[in-house]
Amino acid sequence: MTAPALAISGLQVTYVGPPPIRALDGLSLDVAAGECVGVLGESGSGKSTLAKALLGLASGAAVEGGLRLGGADLGEVDLGGLDEAGWRAVRWRRIALAVQSTSSLNPVLRVGLQLAEPQMVHLGRTRAEADERSAAVLAEVGLDGEALDRYPSELSGGQRRLVLLAMALVCDPSVVVLDEPTAGLDPSIRARVVDTLRRLRDERRVALVILGHDVEAVGAVADRVAVLYRGWLAEVGPARRVLDEPRAPYTWALLNARPTLGSVKDLRGIRGDPPDPTEIAPGCPFVARCTQVVDLCATGRPPLVAPTGEDGERLVACVRGGVVTLLEGRDLRVSYRLSGTGLGHRSTVVAVDGVSLDVREGEVVGVVGPTGAGKSTLAMLLVRLLEPDGGSVRFEGADLLAAKGSALRAARRRVQLLFQDPYEALSPRLTVGAAVREPLDVQGLGLAEWRDERVRTELATVRLPSDAAFLARHTHELSGGQLQRLALARALILEPKLLVADEPVSMLDPSEQAKMLQLLKHLQVERGMAMVFISHDLAVVLRVADRVVVMDAGRIVEEGRGHELLLGARHPVTKGLLAASGRSTSPDGLLLRPTSRPDG
Amino acid sequence: MSRRARERRLGPAGLMGAGVVAGFVLLAVAGPALAPYRVTELAGDPLEGPSLHHLFGTNSVGQDLTSQLLAGARASLVIALLAGGGTLLLGALVGAVAGWRGGATDSAVMRVVDVVLVLPPIPLMVVLGASIDPGLVGLSAIIVLVSWPVYARLVRAAVLPLRRRADIRAAVGFGASTGQVLRTHVLPDVGLVLIAGLISAVERAIAIEAGLAFLGLVNPTRASWGSIMRDALDFRGLFLTDSWRWWLLPPVAAVALLLVGLALVGTSVERRLDPRLARHQPVGVDG
Amino acid sequence: MGPLPTPSRRARRLLAHYGLTVAAVVVLVFALPRAMPGDPLAFLRADNPESVDPAVLHDLQAYYGLDRPLVGQLGHFLARLGHGDLGISIGRRVPVRDLLQAHLPWTLLLIGASLALSSVLSYLLGCAAGWRRGRPLDRLVVMASSAVRPIPTYALASLLLLGGAVTGRLLPLGGARTPFAHYASPFAEIADVARHLVLPVTALASALVASQVLLVRNTMVSTLGQDYMVLARAKGLPLRLLQHRHAGRNALLPFVTSVGLQAGFLVGGAVFVETVFSYPGMGTLVLRAVASRDYPVLEATFLALALVVLTLNLFVDLLYGRLDPRARTG
Repeated sequence: MTAPALAISGLQVTYVGPPPIRALDGLSLDVAAGECVGVLGESGSGKSTLAKALLGLASGAAVEGGLRLGGADLGEVDLGGLDEAGWRAVRWRRIALAVQSTSSLNPVLRVGLQLAEPQMVHLGRTRAEADERSAAVLAEVGLDGEALDRYPSELSGGQRRLVLLAMALVCDPSVVVLDEPTAGLDPSIRARVVDTLRRLRDERRVALVILGHDVEAVGAVADRVAVLYRGWLAEVGPARRVLDEPRAPYTWALLNARPTLGSVKDLRGIRGDPPDPTEIAPGCPFVARCTQVVDLCATGRPPLVAPTGEDGERLVACVRGGVVTLLEGRDLRVSYRLSGTGLGHRSTVVAVDGVSLDVREGEVVGVVGPTGAGKSTLAMLLVRLLEPDGGSVRFEGADLLAAKGSALRAARRRVQLLFQDPYEALSPRLTVGAAVREPLDVQGLGLAEWRDERVRTELATVRLPSDAAFLARHTHELSGGQLQRLALARALILEPKLLVADEPVSMLDPSEQAKMLQLLKHLQVERGMAMVFISHDLAVVLRVADRVVVMDAGRIVEEGRGHELLLGARHPVTKGLLAASGRSTSPDGLLLRPTSRPDG
Repeated sequence: MSRRARERRLGPAGLMGAGVVAGFVLLAVAGPALAPYRVTELAGDPLEGPSLHHLFGTNSVGQDLTSQLLAGARASLVIALLAGGGTLLLGALVGAVAGWRGGATDSAVMRVVDVVLVLPPIPLMVVLGASIDPGLVGLSAIIVLVSWPVYARLVRAAVLPLRRRADIRAAVGFGASTGQVLRTHVLPDVGLVLIAGLISAVERAIAIEAGLAFLGLVNPTRASWGSIMRDALDFRGLFLTDSWRWWLLPPVAAVALLLVGLALVGTSVERRLDPRLARHQPVGVDG
Repeated sequence: MGPLPTPSRRARRLLAHYGLTVAAVVVLVFALPRAMPGDPLAFLRADNPESVDPAVLHDLQAYYGLDRPLVGQLGHFLARLGHGDLGISIGRRVPVRDLLQAHLPWTLLLIGASLALSSVLSYLLGCAAGWRRGRPLDRLVVMASSAVRPIPTYALASLLLLGGAVTGRLLPLGGARTPFAHYASPFAEIADVARHLVLPVTALASALVASQVLLVRNTMVSTLGQDYMVLARAKGLPLRLLQHRHAGRNALLPFVTSVGLQAGFLVGGAVFVETVFSYPGMGTLVLRAVASRDYPVLEATFLALALVVLTLNLFVDLLYGRLDPRARTG
């Protein structure tokens, strides 16, 4: 294999403070000739620092690590330790930058001169030769050569962007770095840019590095995607695979927070805030926002490695090998024996018939189906309140069905069930305080004062009063909505990793239902828990679930992301559910659906 | 305010300037008590050198230069208050109204400002001054009349963005009264502009007064640093003896020192006005 | 790409501005003597009643045309102005036009030379200082200009005269040429004029440099932070092009504007400098006219100098339009 056109290894850029800011932290990435790599990152991820570092423009910063340019015709260049004169010879000739900001064009110089000057400096062309070449490149990006005689202020914003793209190409560099090449462009110009980039990659074998924050824009042109978070790569791999099945927790969270066409899910950002750039903590930069943190996460920057079950093309930087499957139900089946009235006549109803269901860290899986589909039975199986006839349930890697004694007790703390009917689930003899405290008492956690403190905290999180008078009230004195929130507080007080909510809002009137849904989603994101959300109402499920499973007669008949089901439901049961919960199955009608059902 | 806080506000150069200015103000205020003679009095022999009787010697007709210099300081102080203060007051009023009202008022005012700004100020003031009795009040009136547009423009530029500023809109949205808006949002910003403008207007007024006196626009019964310089330069034998040392140099030094002192204070105020000037990251220099 | 916007809007705006200003100057010159208490000649009689020649008084009355109604006076005034008739000097009894013709060229020479010298110096020094922000040259420029800028031109000129006199008169201290000299060649004459010009030009140019070099320097500093400078550097351009083509051209713009704004200051400074060095320009004329309250002369000098300033401004406006393409379209 030939050397890559651009090889970055362990690139570290620190802006000397005070306080020092580490903008890039050990970034390694190879880009081959004729390949387009997209670097995906939010603002502050270090994209622009990367662009500057690649051209030796990170002034006022300490740059460490390896940077090499390959290339058959011009030979390899080691960019590490180049002085300004050395960089000057490499810039634009070997590696060029297409910037996004149109204020990068000098307002008082004609476009022609600005396109010609790097050619005259680096390639020794005369002005006439340079102009000829400039006109050809402009034509390639779809601009008239007349633009050469114009000042930047005489061109439209889109035209200026095309000029900036053309400018990066005039010296035929082997590597082109593009900063948000399609952001903010109207569709026709965007198409021209994408077309130009494809031709560069395929016909001229240019190595392209695209920096961007827009998943769709980067995904549209990149062969490979590298996901950048706080100067550190979380995941690298083939574009479609990374974007369709993200493995790194950050990529997964980022893609889940993004709106999609036909998105009906309530959007929630990634929990927490990005870390303070001045803090250089030793562990994984995503640790404060990740839902699956273990002690190991805080000990070092996780390196990019191929996780199990992947070929070497996809690399993930996560000590847990990427997003972990929290709950793994396999081939679960259970049947009820119905005692008939006739003598010796017994019939068997298969309630759950070979269901396999995975729930990943921080994920909300919606389970939807008509009455009698086996949803509630499945819920009981998943939390082991019902023993299956066959199949297995693994929770956090351990066999839940085989757990005994203290192991089972510990597992029970991590998985909680929220019942459909709070009237039934809460004993009317208990006061509010005692009801919420019960799980702590049962598990024997902490001292009495601490337990009471926790009770008050949890009541506050579910937006219930926590004064002594309220704690002393009996549960039957509360309204339906208050009662369900009380039940939620009770389920959350053990800080579970997985909450299985069985029809948690079906008993509530529309306004209480909306409040409860928002509260559930909010707590799920902020606490980093996973959730199995069961409902007969597809409209409700679509609001909260990242992924939806449709059940009928004990089996899973269809599954997919919410908007996929909405726009392309295939199974008749799904279509029936859509019709039952919506006014119509057409996407137009569904997109405008309110959160709560107007009926009771 | 503590001494340290004041130091942080002005900085060492600004403090030095403030000291110089304060010294001149003291001399001007105490001038009549300190001055040994009247300005026009023939107090000694012509061209006497410095002595205990005449600290700065005498001029070619025997007038005491110490008394004249003190009178010049006093003239500068009066001009600073009348002309400098008046210029800023008129300019700020016009500029604030134009900037705040906007629209037709603004464009009409700014048209007048633009026209006055291109008229050469010194020739214009000479024409105006030649037709009146050039006392300090008359001179101040002329200086104000010609100088206000500079400050109208300055204040307008500071007031104009206020109308669009989000924090002010937000405050009005909370129901803040005009007084509250002025106190918490307008004055802290515009206040510094006004202070910087006042210092600059005072500098300008002092320089112009001495300059007009230098050109002969001075009431013969009073003295100005400019008229002392003019008398010295008009004396043909100035450089034949040492007399330039006590006759020409002191008024030149006085006006230069006072104006540099004022400018030092002004610069520190302006620096506080725009701290970005001090903290800009350079870009292309490491080559 | 669309048609280029026509520059006519800007041209019309400029025309309106200059038309209005010229009108304002003419009206001022007309109105000032008439707005004075009494009539323009009253203060003359009051000031020195016996020294005024009745013949001069008669001429002046004819010039001002005070016996007509105000509108008639204006027409009369404009007609005379159109013929270049600016009245008669009270002190010297010669037509004011002749005095202007003798003095204005020297002032224009002084102004032109000072402006050219100071512009080149301000630009080069300011660019160099801004480029090397915080280094010794920059500190020196900032310190020197802040120390010199507040000093009024007449004080600066007086110091230079003093310096010239004390250091042994290597250069002529006064006048525009050696009196009664016979020149062997035109070059000798030019050299003599140039030698007389050195001190006045130094005085005026240093005042100008002090007031402008900081502007160039500060613009340069902020220019260096612009996106286009980063891109120019990214293109691998040599320092020379970065400094002069990309940064310099942009740093020039506010500087050019400031030359227009400073034109009034420049003319006033020239008046002061001439009175210090007895340079036979408008300053000397003003000095004498003030002494004798020679009102027609003062009016005419104001008119002439205002027109000089306006011309300079117009020139700057046109130049700016050429330098900044945005001004043409905006």
